[in-house]
Amino acid sequence: MDRWQYLLILGGCVLITLPLEFFGDGIYRQPVRLLRALTPVLVAFLVWDAIAIALGIWRYNPRYVSGINVPFMPLEELLFFVVIPLCGLLTYSAVNAVLGILRRLRDKTVERSRR
Amino acid sequence: MIGLGYTLPAIISVIVVCVLEWAVLRTGLFRKPAYWISMVIVFAFQILVDGWLTKLSAPIVIYNERHTSGLRFPWDIPVEDFLFGWALVTGVLLLWVRQRPDREDG
Repeated sequence: MDRWQYLLILGGCVLITLPLEFFGDGIYRQPVRLLRALTPVLVAFLVWDAIAIALGIWRYNPRYVSGINVPFMPLEELLFFVVIPLCGLLTYSAVNAVLGILRRLRDKTVERSRR
Repeated sequence: MIGLGYTLPAIISVIVVCVLEWAVLRTGLFRKPAYWISMVIVFAFQILVDGWLTKLSAPIVIYNERHTSGLRFPWDIPVEDFLFGWALVTGVLLLWVRQRPDREDG
């Protein structure tokens, strides 16, 4: 079970943030925009990560990774660079939606008090 | 403890993201309250997730301490991770804000 730890953490991140998709316009429902935003940053960080791994700046405990590898790194590490930005985007989108709702409520209250 | 391998690139990544916003993208994201509220939330969850990944008792990610500042806070999280995480998430957010929304039926 230990070797699924990193993968399970990432899965948990996806699951916990999934409901945020339904606040506002969503992230998964805008796949083209998502790809355009994610890809350049993903590439930059994958290059950084691959270099750091090659130079031995950090490494992964074989006990806690699946053993499935993509070029230069464990599968989990590649997924990390997709999952974490997704969590950030979903958070931002949901915060925006909530602020929008609060703003509309406030405007309504102000309108009513003027009558 | 020289920090060249992680501390320096982590600082540079933050500078690159800031320069990208101020000189190229100019999205105005840094002036939006929603962005800073989101960053507080992301930061809180990063402590949980990263804390688990880097805990010295059973680390998933193992750092060569010669390449970090040696500062780990909170728990055993190398402080560099917060710069790394900020650059990663903010970089994607900047590009996201810059893109037009997908059509609703897309």
